[in-house]
Amino acid sequence: MFRTLTISLGLLAGILSAQEFKLGSQVTDFSIQDLDGKPVAFSTLRGPITVVTFIATQCPVSNSYNQRMNAIYQDYSSKGVKFIFVNANRSEPASEVREHAKRVGFAFPVYKDADNVLADRFDAQVTPESYVIDSAGIIRYHGSIDDSQNESHIRTQRLRLALDAVLAGKTVDQAETKTFGCGIKRVRQSI
Amino acid sequence: MKIALLFLSIPLFAALVSLNETGFQKLVSDHKGKVVLYDLWATWCDSCRAELPQLVRLEAKLRSQGFELVTISADEPEAAADAEKLLKQFAVRGVVYRKQAADDQHFIDSIDPKWSGALPAMFLYDKTGHQVQAFIGETDIAVIEAAIRKVFSHSTITDNFCCIIVGIFLY
Repeated sequence: MFRTLTISLGLLAGILSAQEFKLGSQVTDFSIQDLDGKPVAFSTLRGPITVVTFIATQCPVSNSYNQRMNAIYQDYSSKGVKFIFVNANRSEPASEVREHAKRVGFAFPVYKDADNVLADRFDAQVTPESYVIDSAGIIRYHGSIDDSQNESHIRTQRLRLALDAVLAGKTVDQAETKTFGCGIKRVRQSI
Repeated sequence: MKIALLFLSIPLFAALVSLNETGFQKLVSDHKGKVVLYDLWATWCDSCRAELPQLVRLEAKLRSQGFELVTISADEPEAAADAEKLLKQFAVRGVVYRKQAADDQHFIDSIDPKWSGALPAMFLYDKTGHQVQAFIGETDIAVIEAAIRKVFSHSTITDNFCCIIVGIFLY
């Protein structure tokens, strides 16, 4: 009886931790928190094209992208793209996120994903990691901002290329990409 | 040796051997017969640096049973000297590797297509060269040790079973 219950709970945990928002799937409404702890709905933040990016305060890889993220935000906001930057790390409280954003000069607000609920729904693993969502709510790109932590080694501006394609109504050539980054520090492991 | 050099390019630093997109599978093949934990780490990864001395102690504890720790630095080439310094500081044994890949995505996929590239990342292989578990993100060293011991106990059961079968056949 106990064994059956244990196996059932294990299966239930597996189902609950399954990735919900995948490349090509539709993103339904979700809630994150502003840095005062107030819930904010995706539906109030989204635009015709929306970029969700998981970032960190302490991750050197994420920090190496701070100015690149600012530049992309500025370049594409004028084209109607909305950006949602999210910190899901359990070890980085809202107060630290606020101080960090001010110190590094982010041009955009940063939100908290308490208990990495949203990171689990996207199965986001690393910082920085981006998702491009089109007007129908479909994820059209998932992956890295570009292909190198070191700006001098960049060969492909992956996120910019994806945004250009979606803005032009075209298919994203490389719709799923990877680079090295810091693992998101979860309150529980999804894998 | 010539075949090995095709996969492992000439090391940039004396102690760090460069590993390209095809090198990892060769590495796994060369380590058949041992239970191996491949530790993908980087100097910029705080959790990786914290785990390294614990992994070194774990290897010292289980080495006599046929366990080996293989470290692979995912640092950019300009950080190779820092990586080497850290490995020396933590007295990491054996051959140590560093990524030298034209494309990080291909390198990540060559290790495990299911892996996102998030560090820390460790991959446990059994004696037959099959991956038995991946540890992505911060992982308690006790969890890793338990997984390694489980691989050894499974190997012992399998080895004994084979001996019994061979024994019956010979009889």
